[in-house]
Amino acid sequence: MLRYTLRRLSFLPIILLAVSIITFVLLRVLPTEDFADVIGGINATQEQKDAIRDKYGLRAPVFPVTVSGQCERVVWYVPKCSLDGSVLEFHPHSQYGSWLIHALRGDFGTTFNNNADVRHEFVRRFPASFELVFLSLSFSVFFGISFGILSAMYRNTPLDYGVRIFAVLGTSIPEFFLLTLLIVIPSYLWNYAQPSGGYVPIYDDPMHNLRLFLPPALIVGVAGSSGLMRLVRTTMLEVLRSDYVRTARAKGLRGRTVILSHALRNASTPILTAVGTAFIAVFGGSLVAERILSIQGNGLFFFTSTLSRDLPVIQFLAVYTAAVVVIVNLVVDLSYAWADPRVKYS
Amino acid sequence: MAAMIERERRLAPMESWEIPRPKPWYQKLARLAADNPVGAVSFAIVVLFVAVGVFGASIAPYNPKELDASSQYLGPSGVHFFGTDKFGHDVFSRVLTGAQIDLKFGLVVMLVGFIPGVMLGVVSGYARGWADYVIQRSAEAWTAFPALFLLLTFVSAFGPGLKTVEIVVAISALFSGSRLLRAVALIEKQKEYVTSARSTGATETRLLLRHVVPNIMPFILVGFSSVFAVAVLLEATLSFLGLGVAPGTPSWGADLSFNADNQGTKYPFLVLFPGLAISLVVLAFNLLGDTLRDILDPRLRGSTGTRK
Repeated sequence: MLRYTLRRLSFLPIILLAVSIITFVLLRVLPTEDFADVIGGINATQEQKDAIRDKYGLRAPVFPVTVSGQCERVVWYVPKCSLDGSVLEFHPHSQYGSWLIHALRGDFGTTFNNNADVRHEFVRRFPASFELVFLSLSFSVFFGISFGILSAMYRNTPLDYGVRIFAVLGTSIPEFFLLTLLIVIPSYLWNYAQPSGGYVPIYDDPMHNLRLFLPPALIVGVAGSSGLMRLVRTTMLEVLRSDYVRTARAKGLRGRTVILSHALRNASTPILTAVGTAFIAVFGGSLVAERILSIQGNGLFFFTSTLSRDLPVIQFLAVYTAAVVVIVNLVVDLSYAWADPRVKYS
Repeated sequence: MAAMIERERRLAPMESWEIPRPKPWYQKLARLAADNPVGAVSFAIVVLFVAVGVFGASIAPYNPKELDASSQYLGPSGVHFFGTDKFGHDVFSRVLTGAQIDLKFGLVVMLVGFIPGVMLGVVSGYARGWADYVIQRSAEAWTAFPALFLLLTFVSAFGPGLKTVEIVVAISALFSGSRLLRAVALIEKQKEYVTSARSTGATETRLLLRHVVPNIMPFILVGFSSVFAVAVLLEATLSFLGLGVAPGTPSWGADLSFNADNQGTKYPFLVLFPGLAISLVVLAFNLLGDTLRDILDPRLRGSTGTRK
């Protein structure tokens, strides 16, 4: 198991490297519009644009290796370039090269917008994002698993119908609609304003913190739980039909024991996979929540940086998201064995 | 018990040698609708959505872009069914016109993304090989990320706009179509009818097109319906975030965001109507997909949890 974990972790740097190269191609090779135009505005003069390019180091070649002669762009990307007769050229000061060297030292550059340290900005916004994702995922897992089980146990009863209707509504009603209603409806009916913006740590002012985070987390979590709910229901229905569940019942075990330690345990593998999927859903959903309630987290950071083409921020957050996705998948894979001892890794 | 009845029915002597006349199609359809009321209603909503998408702009009672300072923030009434917004736009007309964007968007995603993805999935599941491996690994990598993050990264590369969103959602549809149909094709090619068709000398192409594809049509239709739902949802989300349609264009997501920012707390109906329109259409496509799955493929019955 340890060897398996280490082998999986050894892929992490390779994946992150690939993601960083892809984002560089996406952000610095492909764009059809000039960043100097976007950042400087349409009225910027040529000198101003050049100054912007110099300031942000956008004049250097993007990748350390190019082909001289016909090609100004990277050879293995642009199919028009022919390889015959051209010479590979190496650039000690390419954009990607210097980004990588700094990134390996933990320095992800400064933001274009206000020259702040990217890592510092990220760390500052992390607690808000973390709390939102954590609470949402907790709600998602709690509602998804508990109502999924109940729906399977009380099949074809009003409870089951209710859960199924709820699950299909949860996949259909957009999160941004519910989150907007969270602001609009209480304000209209009871003159209650859902707090937005600003982050107060839970140890400073628990009441304000929960007022800020619980309602959106409930919406994001419950909306994200519908997929999990459906899956838990179908898996449990299959498992409940099996022989060992009948045996467990026959030997007089309590209903709770049968459900929790016989049925649920055997249904754990697909459920854990779905929890991983729910995490990804919640991770995306929290971005919308941060945007609507202007919670200063990394989702909103990503969003505003996208609009202002703040390249260092987008690059860093892309690599960070990739790392989160890879680690979550690894944790899900490892948890199979924790839940079901028959699982062996090789 | 059921098996016994079935056997007796089979063993019972034929009472009449007349071949029953096939029922006309409208009777079959009525029967199908009566058996699946949820599916019938959702199908009706989908038809309505398509009709509104095509004719909405011409049947809208008011010009959705016309400024009218004298009729700001009017509540829902007989004159303005859904009320009017900050600029005096008739919200009902805007909701009708907004369907067009989603219909167009969904169709583009289907044509550029889902249908090629289906072909790719069937062929790669059927033929396997290194291409299959590459497609599957790319699909896994792509779907591992939250769609919204991919969209944002592409938006920062190509700038905001419906085109960018279309590209990303089409790629997502391509991968989900290919994954879905690959799994189906893998199972299907083991089936006996494939072997027997091959033994009669059918070429591989004919086998695929005339035998395998008709048999997996149910899965394609189900996938079509659910991918359309996701496409509408993502378009609305991106337009809500201001990364989709150009400002001012009637679109459910963009209107919802605009109305929420402009006196939304005072006039909640402005937020409610576009939001309900999105929810209703996505719900109808989801339910239609579930119903189709149940009707077309009894093997899958119960696997989605919306019907028994």
